[in-house]
Amino acid sequence: MKNFLPKQNSPFRGLGGMKAIVDCNSFYCSCERLFRPDLANKPVVVLSNNDGCIISRSDEAKKLGVQMAGPYFKAKPLIEKYGVTTFSSNYHLYGDLSWRVMETLRTLVGKENVEVYSVDESFLDLHHIPSNELITASKEMKNIVEQWTGIKVSIGVAPTKVLSKVANRLSKKNKIETDCVMVLDDKEKINDALRRTSVEDIWGVGFQYATKLRQLRINTAFDLKQMSTAWAHRHLGGVVGVRLIKELNGEPAIEMEDELINKKMIATTRMFGQPVTKIKDIKEAIATYTSRAAEKLRRQNSAAKTIGVFIVPKQESHTTHFRHGPSVGTYIHLPVATSITNELIKPAVQLVDRLFEEGNIYKKAGVMLSNIVPDTSIQGNLFLPEIKNNQRLLMNMIDNVNFSMRDDVLKFAASGTTRDWKMRQELRSKRYTTRWNELFEIK
Amino acid sequence: MDNETFYRAKYDGSKKFHQHDIQTANATGFGAAADDYMERGIDLNEQLIKNKPATFFFRMNSDAMIGAGIHIGDTLIVDRSIKPTNGKVIVAIMEGELLVRRLQKNINSVTLISENKKFRDIPLSVFDDRTNVWGVVTYVIHTP
Repeated sequence: MKNFLPKQNSPFRGLGGMKAIVDCNSFYCSCERLFRPDLANKPVVVLSNNDGCIISRSDEAKKLGVQMAGPYFKAKPLIEKYGVTTFSSNYHLYGDLSWRVMETLRTLVGKENVEVYSVDESFLDLHHIPSNELITASKEMKNIVEQWTGIKVSIGVAPTKVLSKVANRLSKKNKIETDCVMVLDDKEKINDALRRTSVEDIWGVGFQYATKLRQLRINTAFDLKQMSTAWAHRHLGGVVGVRLIKELNGEPAIEMEDELINKKMIATTRMFGQPVTKIKDIKEAIATYTSRAAEKLRRQNSAAKTIGVFIVPKQESHTTHFRHGPSVGTYIHLPVATSITNELIKPAVQLVDRLFEEGNIYKKAGVMLSNIVPDTSIQGNLFLPEIKNNQRLLMNMIDNVNFSMRDDVLKFAASGTTRDWKMRQELRSKRYTTRWNELFEIK
Repeated sequence: MDNETFYRAKYDGSKKFHQHDIQTANATGFGAAADDYMERGIDLNEQLIKNKPATFFFRMNSDAMIGAGIHIGDTLIVDRSIKPTNGKVIVAIMEGELLVRRLQKNINSVTLISENKKFRDIPLSVFDDRTNVWGVVTYVIHTP
């Protein structure tokens, strides 16, 4: 195999070299298909938490006209008519396969050259690959990822991140022609690709800016590229717009970022399985989300000074439209930063008392931890009273037990035991890669 | 493109450990001498999983491969990055179904062999490593 690893840590990392974006094709659907080869080339969709919306569609489902992010009930007639296979989201499976894809990429190009951008996308720094080998190298990387993990990916390669996104999008649009790989390595190819990209399809251009650009008769990425940076500064949100114009012109302005290890905010939000009206149920849900958020907090050895809670009431509406009302939320600052679950549950539940209104129907709730600082209560701190250290040790123990036994076997009573509000996941596949008792049974 | 090339990438991430993982006797007196000979303990991952992102587990639920020592209830370790050469036990994709069989590749034919007389061998006229092979079985974990 060709070696994609850099010979040594190059001082030119991120400068002038080519960048790639590797994007998994219909990621959640691909994950579901891995253990269901009978679904190859068949229409498949995956539903969001709570089976509310469609969040992933296979190419075949797209062709049938199933809409992305559309409510499930609206697409149901179409789904039933054509026998589209439908799955509830199985984040255990997707998370594991995502790690496998990223780990394969790290093995191929070196972990310092991989920036995981989302669950199914990674930027790669390919400065060390000679320009005449970019196509072969990218195709081989694509094949190896598919070989090892079973997940099909598309790769766009260009001098900047924004252009690599353009390339990636076009490669996905013409899978057969491009073999899911597109390299924009000269001016002609770049301009041609930009002409084929509408402004709303550029990475970072939202709906509002796209509408504004269209009004100014800037219709394609190529039109936008011609604009001056001074113009962009005035009309496209200042520095952000300037960066975008530079990137479109092949001048790197968005550098590779080191992996985000410590999050600055931790949020856990969920839709309820069914509308909730009792304050007791909301408190249980909030306590559960708080436990989850606190666990995430401890995993990165941090503590939080601020805790926020929000709940979303269902809006009074006479249409069948899928819509919820504005969320109501509030937060408090804690006297000291903490990562101890019970110290966070208490204020969180008090916040629910402030927000809850009798007679409302609630659809969703969430907890947000912010003002995150390094945790000083981790064992060994001489300056803290011992009693506090015991709390932290207890948390360690709970985390260890829950991590090894899974499914939150140890939890605080405030989280409730019945969980009437729990998510609906009626069509979830097995957790083939993370649970011993759910392995694929083969003949 | 040369199909051979996909299988040779080396993965060394299965073994993640550092010196602190080595146990010490933690003795204050004579035990300290043993510390000089203390090693990292045996780790099954190191032996059974060569390429972690490409390795998956399956549960055997038939006696089709009993002759190869694979029993009902056994755990199969399957590596997708290994080349399915002649004679390997593979997870095959047959008409949308996954099957464990021994791969027999001759010059102009491919057969999926069952190691149990009750099952028929499956001759294949069209066979392709990428569309007919899910992975290669590398180990079987069996409770005696």
